[in-house]
Amino acid sequence: MKPLFRTLGMVAALTLAMPAMAADPPLPGDSVYQLDAHVTDQDGHSHAWQELRGKPMIVSMFYGNCHLMCPMIIASGKALHNRLEPAERDGLDLAMVSIDPARDTPAALREVAQLHRLDSKHWRLLRPDDADVRTLAAALGIRYRAQPDGTFNHTSVLILLDRDGRIVARSEVTGLQPDPQFIATVRGHLSGASAVASNPSTRSKESP
Amino acid sequence: MLATSMMVVALLAAPPPAVATEFVGIPAGELRSTVRYEGDDGKRHVAAFAMATKAVTVREFEAFVRTHPQWERERVPSLLADAGYLSSWRDADNAGNDDAPVTHVSWFAAEAYCKSIDARLPDWAEWEYVAAADATRHDARSDSAWRARTFADGTPRAMDATLGAVANAYGVSGMHGAVWEWVGDYATLLGDADKRGSDDGDRLQFCGATGLSFANRDDYAILKRVALLSAMEPRSTLGNLGFRCARSSP
Repeated sequence: MKPLFRTLGMVAALTLAMPAMAADPPLPGDSVYQLDAHVTDQDGHSHAWQELRGKPMIVSMFYGNCHLMCPMIIASGKALHNRLEPAERDGLDLAMVSIDPARDTPAALREVAQLHRLDSKHWRLLRPDDADVRTLAAALGIRYRAQPDGTFNHTSVLILLDRDGRIVARSEVTGLQPDPQFIATVRGHLSGASAVASNPSTRSKESP
Repeated sequence: MLATSMMVVALLAAPPPAVATEFVGIPAGELRSTVRYEGDDGKRHVAAFAMATKAVTVREFEAFVRTHPQWERERVPSLLADAGYLSSWRDADNAGNDDAPVTHVSWFAAEAYCKSIDARLPDWAEWEYVAAADATRHDARSDSAWRARTFADGTPRAMDATLGAVANAYGVSGMHGAVWEWVGDYATLLGDADKRGSDDGDRLQFCGATGLSFANRDDYAILKRVALLSAMEPRSTLGNLGFRCARSSP
């Protein structure tokens, strides 16, 4: 009986989701959401990667067992978020995607979120399916290499995606504070994005 | 473990696909890689795996596109392939029957193809390990005459450029052909975006991206290959860049 309920639930969910999906304009060809990938968040919920579409987002890749650069990426993202006006803050989400899905279980990701006191309203810590790590990194232009000692070498960068998953800007993380110019770019984009969102005609011109 | 063995049984029981890719088992071994990362000695352990005996052909890729229309030339999103993708094909869905290696394919497309046959792209170390062999030796790299012949890799004069070229000691053909090949971890072959210039460069080596170097400057063929691959974006395509697939041992 249970599996049947689950199936019925899924059918219902799909039916409900359908009108919303039909209303979405087609994804731009260069959107990172063109990838067919699956991720699990820190609460253990699994999502299609495309579900992140809809809001501008800061994204980066990291791994939980990293003690120098990755905390710096998170700190830099937090500092960026804190430097925004409250209204701007609500228009931006942040996602950290793991390059180490074997060890970054939802429980491990939850621990990272607690350690850094990340606001769950805006932050997502995501563990991709094993086979999707490499393609996600490729789409985001993040290079990484596993080291024999279990650590990773990887590009440390904050990437600004627009609501449809196009890469707007990227900023290399060099310390706890984000690059002031990147903050300005994010703020400029958010004010532009909210203007665009309230005026659909502008938006359709931007994405033909 | 149970799931894995069940999958193997299922694979064995399945009828062979119309275009069967032939794989050959490659025994585990140690490789002295020509590619050195910061602070390493180039020693790599290569676990046993299986390598396709040939690069994926135009015909095989055409069959894949027919069953996976999202990879058609006209449909593929620009994120996953540049404008050159399959540009040498006469029609979007008809490449003509051709046993030549497919080219003008992006890394994303190559990866998707291998996934579709329950395989993956070989890693660089696996590729270098198998490419070290000539027709009789598993590692012919100390033979300077043989090594000199690899300088023509990626050109029509390459030693394996003709279809009739003999397989190497592992039973793998075309490793030194007219066409370069993608590898799965090509993005790790990077000398760029390295942090050694920054203030705390030494500390960052454990987590920041680092550069690579080469063991011998006369490993010219490998150097050329790595330089080419490291200059590629995953959406890039080239008229002389194709791929083959590999499989991990169960």
